Amino acid sequence: MKNLRQHLNVIGVVVLTVVIVALGAVEVFRPLGIRFSDLTGRIVTMDTMIRIGILTIVLVGLNLLMGYAGQISLGQAGFYALGAYASGILSTLAVRYKILIGIADSWWWPWLSIIAGMVVTGVFAYLVGKPILRLKGNYLAMATLGLGVIIYILGGQFPEITGGYDGLTGVPRLSIGSSFTLWPMERYYFLVWGVAIVVIIVALNIVNSRIGRALRAIHTSEVAANTSGVDTDSYKVQALVVSAMFASLAGSLYAHFQSAVSPNPFSFRASVELVVMAAVGGLSSIWGAPFGVGIIFVIRDLIRSRLEDIFHVRGGEYELIIYGLILVVIMIFMPEGLTTGLTKALRRTGRRTVQQLSRAGAATSDSSRTSAS
Amino acid sequence: MKTQKASFAWSVLTIVMVVSLALAACGPTPTAAPAPTEAPTAAPTPTEAPKVGTPYKIGFNSSATGTYASLGLPEAKTAEIIQGQINAAGGVVGPDGVRHDVKIIIYDDENEADKAVSNVTRLILEDEVIVVVSTTGSGTSIAHIPVCEENETACISMASAKPITTNPETGEEYKWMFKTPQTNGHAGEWQAAYLKAIGVSKVCILYTDDGYGKDCLAEFKGAAEAAGLEVVYEAGYAKTDTEFSAQVAGAEASGCEAVEIGSTPAVASLATIAVRTAMPDIPITLGHGVCNQAHIDTAGEAAEGTVFPCGKITVLDILPEDDPQKPVLEKYIEDYTAFTGGEPVSTFGGHAWDGLEMAIDALGSLNEGMTLAEQRVAVRDYLENNIKDWPGISGVFTFSPTDHNGLTKESLVFVKVVDGKWVAFPESEW
Amino acid sequence: MPRIVQSKSTRITLTVVVAIVIIVLVLFLGSQKNLQPRHYIQLTIDGVRGGSIYALMALGFVAVYSVTGIINFAQGEFVMLGAMICLTVYDLGLPLPPVIKLIVAIIAGVFLTTLIGMIIERATIYPARRSPVVTLIIITIGVTITLRAGALLVWGADPYVLPAFTTLALEDHIFRFGGITLQAQSLWIWATLVVVLVLLYFFLERTIMGKALRACAINRRAAQLMGINPSRMSLLSFVMAATLGAIGGIVLGPVTRPIYDMGLMLGLRGFVAAIMGGLVSAPGAVMGGIILGVVENIAAGVTNPTYKSVVSFIILIVILLFRPQGIIGGGERGVEE
Repeated sequence: MKNLRQHLNVIGVVVLTVVIVALGAVEVFRPLGIRFSDLTGRIVTMDTMIRIGILTIVLVGLNLLMGYAGQISLGQAGFYALGAYASGILSTLAVRYKILIGIADSWWWPWLSIIAGMVVTGVFAYLVGKPILRLKGNYLAMATLGLGVIIYILGGQFPEITGGYDGLTGVPRLSIGSSFTLWPMERYYFLVWGVAIVVIIVALNIVNSRIGRALRAIHTSEVAANTSGVDTDSYKVQALVVSAMFASLAGSLYAHFQSAVSPNPFSFRASVELVVMAAVGGLSSIWGAPFGVGIIFVIRDLIRSRLEDIFHVRGGEYELIIYGLILVVIMIFMPEGLTTGLTKALRRTGRRTVQQLSRAGAATSDSSRTSAS
Repeated sequence: MKTQKASFAWSVLTIVMVVSLALAACGPTPTAAPAPTEAPTAAPTPTEAPKVGTPYKIGFNSSATGTYASLGLPEAKTAEIIQGQINAAGGVVGPDGVRHDVKIIIYDDENEADKAVSNVTRLILEDEVIVVVSTTGSGTSIAHIPVCEENETACISMASAKPITTNPETGEEYKWMFKTPQTNGHAGEWQAAYLKAIGVSKVCILYTDDGYGKDCLAEFKGAAEAAGLEVVYEAGYAKTDTEFSAQVAGAEASGCEAVEIGSTPAVASLATIAVRTAMPDIPITLGHGVCNQAHIDTAGEAAEGTVFPCGKITVLDILPEDDPQKPVLEKYIEDYTAFTGGEPVSTFGGHAWDGLEMAIDALGSLNEGMTLAEQRVAVRDYLENNIKDWPGISGVFTFSPTDHNGLTKESLVFVKVVDGKWVAFPESEW
Repeated sequence: MPRIVQSKSTRITLTVVVAIVIIVLVLFLGSQKNLQPRHYIQLTIDGVRGGSIYALMALGFVAVYSVTGIINFAQGEFVMLGAMICLTVYDLGLPLPPVIKLIVAIIAGVFLTTLIGMIIERATIYPARRSPVVTLIIITIGVTITLRAGALLVWGADPYVLPAFTTLALEDHIFRFGGITLQAQSLWIWATLVVVLVLLYFFLERTIMGKALRACAINRRAAQLMGINPSRMSLLSFVMAATLGAIGGIVLGPVTRPIYDMGLMLGLRGFVAAIMGGLVSAPGAVMGGIILGVVENIAAGVTNPTYKSVVSFIILIVILLFRPQGIIGGGERGVEE
């Protein structure tokens, strides 16, 4: 069983990589004048794909935290914001404050800032995590919510540093060496998804390792895990720190993508959207992350382009309602999210088909050796 | 039990997938390839109908839904009105006599920075528009500056904050960014002048803690200090706040003689009420963001006697006959009221009108046969160099390489609220 | 972690010391802004007014949590719905004298919001009642999103007007004395709170249903054994939460101009107030609400008012970290499950 799952994971990674490279190649080579977005009927664009990739990175971390360790975080956008602001502020030091000229505008400085951002966010998560993770369920949810909102509000203050509510602009594009810039979007796409795939691989490894088993034990029953000698506090904090660092990484990539950082994308609503994506995609599998993000984005783009064309209404007004309804319906009927719900449903349908076939085929005895799952 | 749940889930999923595929399959896809041009004849005679050239596309993005909907929706409606008008007129005719249809592609960013950037990116890269008019809010406009600059497409914003057109580091105007509203700087000049004229020396500033409010604060503070007034108290509040007891108490305690409120409705109206309730006689001035009837209705009694600068569209009846903006204003009011079935006109819709009409004028200067990149450069150059003394809704515009807003203080008219309506309040009456 | 302070006398001394330090700090900061005593009184009065609404909402949280163990994120939306429905009915133009119109509108607001609360419970909570906490939280979040988006669709993004009860007009009657302003509506709010508390007391102490509800709150399993139907109690708790929320929204409406997203911030503060009572104590919730309102307002007054919401969140986090079972009343329940 374990081997099967590992094989499936490897296949999954390979398939994802191939798909990403293929789609990216369409955009880079533009065969016969087709752009990537033409493949999707102009509904999904390269811009959307990059955003999906960035949010996948956040969501993989959130999945580890919520799905495996069972700790709710309604403030994940806060860590995302920390990464974005770290990159934003550090990489514009030369331009805005005229300090470290020569260093702060060299090509390797933004990369350093990304790592610095991850470290700072990780440390912050560690310091904050120790006390907060003693809380359970609802209380933890509220505490993380409060944390996220505080970070959001602080982002709008101190305009000299953070650019205030309008945010700061002029975040440089990432480049390797002084000549190869990872821009325009066709190139940045590969960076973002490259990172996303690496993150997925790392997460899959964590899940299938000792740490992953410990996390799942904690999720099932913290008391039992504790009794069995699992250092629950330490593992929970580790999960939080890892998820925070992933979110920070994603935030940095975001900052270099928009070239501008403002508090607007990191509000409470953003944290909620992340939870929606996580829930819809499925909390019990790392693969739920890319699916969850992808599905929500596609639904959004569909609403915008088709609803307006067909019904002549302003899609924005209906988007939120549809969001909320989807969330409620999925949580009631498929609380494990779409990926797990789908796979389970598929397996059951598959098994039933096999059962019917074998019953039809076999004349007499029929071993009901189908194990319950 | 579980199998029932699973099969239900299965069927729900199938329905969802079928519906999404159906939605994706049917419905019109936006045009991909432009219409082919006709082969030009050797010497076109004057009596021939104009040749039809490639259609021009203008990108339009506003916050028609969400928290800025009361500003963005009139803008979107204005875009629809103009689309209808340009269709009826058959598009624009270039100097070479070739006629081009004009299509305005309209998007909604719900006042979210991410969506604003995505929409403008889509307009420029996917829809291949020649010029963009976007967007309603200052923060969102600032967010898409890199997209416009990098892809070398002129973007005309309908928001007023300084950093939209002026690079805060270098102090120079961004090459590709323009904006049509009167700025908070112009509004601040009026308010400071008024307060000085009525003998106020100390002033309190209340503002919304967001991009617009902070810009108001900065601009009014600068104008006040330039006029010799002293700012003794500043306090912010969130856009969604409904109680202002802390800010009002601080204002009272500071001993200021007038209060300036830099916000947009709804919070501007609520703040006005709070200030008026606690300090019934203190002069209150506001920024030009409150120039819509909704504000006065919400603020009620508290708005009486408050003063603020407004675009001319609000005080049409007292403008002199020879005001160059008058015919433009009258036509817009007529068109807007007819299109919306009686809705009152708003200044914000006017900002959209200005941007779109300028863009259309610029398109009319293009010849057939230019590439998209050439068209974009030509439009930008036209805007910067040919928009001079151009009468619009928001004012009379004169763009230049050092001024991508093109307006002065005179684009605003100072008004006072009397009996639930605004009336002109010229300097002579202060 | 902070189990250091165990002995009661140490705790009392510590609280007193902290209180004195805070008061000195407040007075110092206030003097920087030239705040006179009357300003402090004004801030307190306004704080109590806001706090009364938080108290009503906190009661709603306590009602749902103590019976079902769920934190109802949609509590703020009940407040919004109560206010919006009330003013919509009032503006319908019924041919009635204004006072009767207002009463009808109030009844409609409370009744319809309660109805919506019932529908929500049956449609979303009941089917998922055996699900883990994570799922239930997400469901109530989904409900909140849907309700708020629906409100945006129906009523738009602009603020509306609910007339003040005293004058039945936009302008409220204002009492002024000694430089302090008191809106008549504040008196309505306080009166409502008192009446609600009295009615709640009678309901919970003197009626069978009320006692059943309390039994369920104390121990669901035992109550079930006694023949009390827990799912009906769950419904009842939602009914109470919706009613309380609606009443709060309606009586607050004239003060703050109802708008589609007024529920979010109010809900958050109501929650903080409820936490002060450990989420299970009604008196704790009420006191928590009022204290929160006053503290928040005074803090905003002496520092930067922009940080008003930050104050609530800081209080929230501090309480959650150091005393999640609540400061006033409350019990040990809930933290460990």
